[in-house]
Amino acid sequence: MLEFIVFFVFAAIAVIFALAVILHRNPVVGALSLVASFFALAVMYVLLEAPFLAVLQIIVYAGAIMVLFLFVIMLLNLQHAREENTRPIQQFLGYTGSAAFGLGLVYYIAKYAALQLPNGPFNADARAVGVELFQAYIFPFEMVSILLLAAIVGALLLSGRLPSKVRAADGEGAR
Amino acid sequence: MAFDTTDIVLSLLKIAIVVGALLQVTPIMVWVERRGSALIQDRVGPNRIGPFGLIQSFADALKFVLKEDFTPAGANKWLFTIAPMFGLIPALTTIAVVPWGRPFLIPEAILYEHVSTIGWTLALALLFLGGGVAFSTVRVSSRGGASKLNVAVGWLVGAALILGGLAVILSLAGLKAVDAIRIPGGNRIFEPIVADLNVGLLLVFALASMGVYGIVMAGWASNNKFSLFGGIRASAQMISYELALSLAAVSALLVAGSLRLTDVVWKQTGYFVIFDTVKLPAWNVFSPVMWIAFVVFVIAAFAETNRLPFDFAEAEAELVAGYHTEYSSMKFALFFMSEYIAMATMSALIVTLFLGGWDIPWYHEPPTFFGFLLSALAFVVKVTFMLFVFVWVRWTIPRLKYDILMKAGWKVFLPLALVNLIIVALAIAKGWI
Repeated sequence: MLEFIVFFVFAAIAVIFALAVILHRNPVVGALSLVASFFALAVMYVLLEAPFLAVLQIIVYAGAIMVLFLFVIMLLNLQHAREENTRPIQQFLGYTGSAAFGLGLVYYIAKYAALQLPNGPFNADARAVGVELFQAYIFPFEMVSILLLAAIVGALLLSGRLPSKVRAADGEGAR
Repeated sequence: MAFDTTDIVLSLLKIAIVVGALLQVTPIMVWVERRGSALIQDRVGPNRIGPFGLIQSFADALKFVLKEDFTPAGANKWLFTIAPMFGLIPALTTIAVVPWGRPFLIPEAILYEHVSTIGWTLALALLFLGGGVAFSTVRVSSRGGASKLNVAVGWLVGAALILGGLAVILSLAGLKAVDAIRIPGGNRIFEPIVADLNVGLLLVFALASMGVYGIVMAGWASNNKFSLFGGIRASAQMISYELALSLAAVSALLVAGSLRLTDVVWKQTGYFVIFDTVKLPAWNVFSPVMWIAFVVFVIAAFAETNRLPFDFAEAEAELVAGYHTEYSSMKFALFFMSEYIAMATMSALIVTLFLGGWDIPWYHEPPTFFGFLLSALAFVVKVTFMLFVFVWVRWTIPRLKYDILMKAGWKVFLPLALVNLIIVALAIAKGWI
């Protein structure tokens, strides 16, 4: 009984704040709503008796929105956030496309995922996740880390903060 | 999930104890901070209200309540209001996973039978002594010629002794009454921790990452350039130092082999024996591979709690008052409280991870109520010491430059913590510790 109450309260919170993310005019409020939504999702994991996943959900997602928040403050020009809509066709395509995607998602989840609930207790403690990650999924795991490394190097290159020696060598090569 | 009434009552009791203790930290620490800074700078400090100025904090609190609660015109009202709460809640909840005493078996019959003999003897002795003093005072004063001071002292001592005896009798009666009700908690182990999660340490980091939002929200919602600077500095600083903090803590949990903080403490209750002669308590700080992690963790803890020498979010000399420039009244008091409560939580974490938690060195606490009281006292003493270190450092080391802070975080403490982690992992794999 208690679980049902907690579930519905936090499901409502998650949905309401998820709507606020896309509907609120102020991007800063949007970013903070995303935090609240993810936090409510973490409660779902607690209800599934997987506190490890819940904590990871907060650390990885809710905690990392801090960076998004900074991007919003520093890169977006908040003064011009309320621009007039000048592109009706794009707006129409956007709405229809996302509606179709959402409907398709609901259809597939209703058709397949709901029928295949895992049997037995849901084992997701730190040890189980670690063993799976470093045995069954070691290759994708390492690939993701290499991808992230490439992204970091790319960001450094784009920001133009290379050591002067590298820049000098680059200049000579161009000549 | 099945609930049991006694479990719920015990949980509520633990929450009440922990939150009550944490809320008391702020007024006491404000007094310690002001008197301590005065001591270090050879001043007097607040000494007008109460003995040694002890009541000063309550006067301050009263003033906070009476001040106007002002919201600037350009501020985002909603965020401006909830930002102080966002700062306080993570600071208050983190303590839930920290154990603060040795678990003990709740005795079936509580205490009356154990203390009744001593209690009644003590009460009778006190009454007898008090009566005697009072009687002789009456005789002396009726004879005349005795100094007024002596008579007054006689009355005071006699009254105090009689009142003490009555108090002992009253508490014995209270104990007997409680025994008659017999709370349904006998033969049950009392774990002095609010939530003994198997992901305790990770929950600490999750809540620590939430704590930044309060400061950044306050900085942004105030619509003030100085506040915004403070908030953004705080976020950059906390993101940078969170890594070093987590890595240092990870080496502690590697040693314990568990994310559960009770396991981390139990692991530290043994001894390191050096050359078969010296017995050091097996606290992580004394471990040859762990003290680097301890140093990194403490420094990162200073940065995470925005204390000097890392208080760039506030930086009075540069940013007026940083992220809380626009705040007044109780909203400002909430920021103040969350700073001190975060400090207390960090101290509790340092103690749990590196200083043996509630362990008393060279003493084996019995698994009884008495042992629990002793261990809880040891925990409080250690946390108090760490809190004093926070004050001590604040009034000794000046604020760093911001670029030095960033460089130190990424180029010194993070690599140090990483290298230490690898060494600890190697030592455990090779079976050295």
